[in-house]
Amino acid sequence: MDAKDSMRWEFRFRAIFVLILLAVCLPCARGQQSAMDLDGHALDPLATGSGKVVVLVFLRRDCPVSGRYAPAVQQISKRFADRANFWLIYPDKSDTAQDIRKSVEEYRYHLPVLRDPQHALVKLSHVQITPEVAVFNRDRHLVYDGRIDDWYIDSGWARSAPTTHELEDAIRAASAGESMARNEVRGVGCYISDLE
Amino acid sequence: MTFVKRSGTQPLLIVAAACVIGVLVAEPASLRVLHDSKPGESVTFNRDIAPIIFHSCSTCHRPGEAAPFSLLTYTDVKQHARQIADVTRSRAMPPWLPEPQELKFADELRLRDAEIDLIARWVEQGAVEGNPQDLPPQPKFVEGWRLGKPDLILTATKPFTLPPQGTDSYWNFIFPVPIQETKWVKAVEIRPGDKRYVHHANILVDREEASRRQEKEPGAGFGGMEIRIESQVFDPDSHLLFWKPGTVPYVEPEGMELRLDKGTDLVLNTHLQPSGKPEVIQPSIGLYFSSHPATKLPMLLQLENDVKLDIPAGEKNFLVTDDFVLPVDVDLMAIYPHAHYLGKDIQAFATLTGGKKETLIHIPQWNLNWQAVYRYAEPVRLPKGTTVSFRYTYDNSDQNPLNPNRPPVRVRGGNRSSDEMCHLWLQMLPVNFDVAKGDPRMALQEALARHNVEKNQGDFEAHYNLGSMLQTRDDLDGAIREYQEAMSLRPEDATANNALGAALVARGNAARATEFLRKAIQLRNDYFDAHYNLAFALAGQDDFAGAAKEFQLALGIRPDDAGAEANLGVALAQLGRFKEAKAHLQRALEIDPEQPVAKENLEALKRETAEH
Repeated sequence: MDAKDSMRWEFRFRAIFVLILLAVCLPCARGQQSAMDLDGHALDPLATGSGKVVVLVFLRRDCPVSGRYAPAVQQISKRFADRANFWLIYPDKSDTAQDIRKSVEEYRYHLPVLRDPQHALVKLSHVQITPEVAVFNRDRHLVYDGRIDDWYIDSGWARSAPTTHELEDAIRAASAGESMARNEVRGVGCYISDLE
Repeated sequence: MTFVKRSGTQPLLIVAAACVIGVLVAEPASLRVLHDSKPGESVTFNRDIAPIIFHSCSTCHRPGEAAPFSLLTYTDVKQHARQIADVTRSRAMPPWLPEPQELKFADELRLRDAEIDLIARWVEQGAVEGNPQDLPPQPKFVEGWRLGKPDLILTATKPFTLPPQGTDSYWNFIFPVPIQETKWVKAVEIRPGDKRYVHHANILVDREEASRRQEKEPGAGFGGMEIRIESQVFDPDSHLLFWKPGTVPYVEPEGMELRLDKGTDLVLNTHLQPSGKPEVIQPSIGLYFSSHPATKLPMLLQLENDVKLDIPAGEKNFLVTDDFVLPVDVDLMAIYPHAHYLGKDIQAFATLTGGKKETLIHIPQWNLNWQAVYRYAEPVRLPKGTTVSFRYTYDNSDQNPLNPNRPPVRVRGGNRSSDEMCHLWLQMLPVNFDVAKGDPRMALQEALARHNVEKNQGDFEAHYNLGSMLQTRDDLDGAIREYQEAMSLRPEDATANNALGAALVARGNAARATEFLRKAIQLRNDYFDAHYNLAFALAGQDDFAGAAKEFQLALGIRPDDAGAEANLGVALAQLGRFKEAKAHLQRALEIDPEQPVAKENLEALKRETAEH
């Protein structure tokens, strides 16, 4: 074996090592950075519910538009329960688990909740506003991020009812296995970046 | 023995939901002094932004107030910095719909362009806090009742539970006012419940307990966006008692206090927006009394042209107008335009006799959610002969995002939120009038009623109200004519039947009156005035047994009506039942020691029984 061969071996070995490292540690690294359940345990929502679409719903407790969407979010999650797992994500680092529990109870949510104080899920999802949603297909590719529907036109301006339904459309397409490029339509509400 | 007629037995004036006053007075916050920062200079919160926020945002953005989050500290503001830049740029916040104009409103909430630019630059530069020494003191706000403890606090008997979602709710709470004598109110504080979910609220003064008929059970309240209240013949609404987020109680100018009589109900009409969770709304009202009665009598004049509202589906620019010539000199104090979801461009102006046109208000993009009463910084003098006009346009296309109908449907005028309205309320104080020529408000009201009749022969309320005005100044033939016109439009209207009956009794035609009064009772069995008036009509035909029966029925509805007791006594005396007559006359005097019919007839009865 000459020197060249040995170098190549070394290169390949390193590459394999790096790949293994990524495969093993990516989910836990993501979890540790941020998303955790209300008991403080790291949790990666994308590592759950295999075979189903994952929907992350980003909310701010102090955002009135977030609040007004609660019944719609609950209803959509129920309608698509066989196809999609919903998670409520609270990105405000000043929120305590207790604050969030109280809010979830008041709004009568029956959905799992995560805190994302380091905004890892925010970055992964490309969301900017609350309430916005991120839809990941069964392969865990982000296929949609943005508004739930077009109910709100602008701050303080809501239609009597929405006329488009981006979240539902995205869940349908993703759960049907349609190949789709990442789509985004920005929402109306409160900026997540204002929390940084 | 003769009947002395109860002066109060009059037909009722139908007054559409007026509302009452808007107090847009911001709390005395720190004076806004805009720091003269140059384009290149860095903008800081402490020096540049805090004065704007404290003046224009913190009144509502603080705990317990209407806004969803507080804006009192650097951290508060930074947590919403980009949002604040957005909503100030779009002028969604602070909420202020009118365009700038020559006639200034009190307490304008409109930000200056330079302030909006400054906020945008601050955010672009990274929302820097700056030097703590530059920070002005936080504004001081009064906690609890703003004017101190009210003289009387009324709380809604039953709360209303707002559903978590769906369209906006409109709920009316009735507050009986437990006073035993007339009071003069110099200020009203409306506490609408949880302010975050109440978009606006209006108090209507119901002097006849007319709204209670709409409650399923006493104290329950009732739904409805627009309400109508019947009131005694000429007692026009005078004050706009309005609440919207940020409102602080307004103390009426000296002499312009609001009269409240015993037996008055205050009806709070609220517009509630679902929050995403169920909310329990239980408003209260604080009343502050004055020691002296009002000396100035403003009135609310309502221009409207709802009958012209018949907007085809898809119509983008439907125009409705009205032009009314003032019969007297007035000072315009406040203005309150009102339309529903299709309203787009809302304008009102005054054209003086010389042709000069003054914009009274212009809202280029109407939004029902932020409707408000606008008070002028100084009263606006409008001389007799001035034409007051409104021009409202409506967008019933699918391009109007607030259009509740998808696809659009034909929309007409009406009281439901899915109907449309074109109303313009004006609080006017008549000036330069000759007291000897009578109440100038009557001239205003009669001119308006005539104007409405001319505008629309098919307007029931216009005919009815003109009839009431004519009857008030004893033009009974004119009144009967107008009531008949009204009746021909709505033969099954109990109020109109009663009014026509009452006018015929007054004209001496008791026999004809009976038919209409019986019809009114048939339509509404618990109609006090109709029983009372029928009793008079029967007595006028010497049917005292029938009269006594009707007075008794009236008393069954309002047991504490001194006039009904007194007249029942008189009817019984006519039947020779003196003992019973005396008891009822005495009871009338227990209720009201000054009841003239009871006093006079009790004396007569004593004399007569003594003689025998």
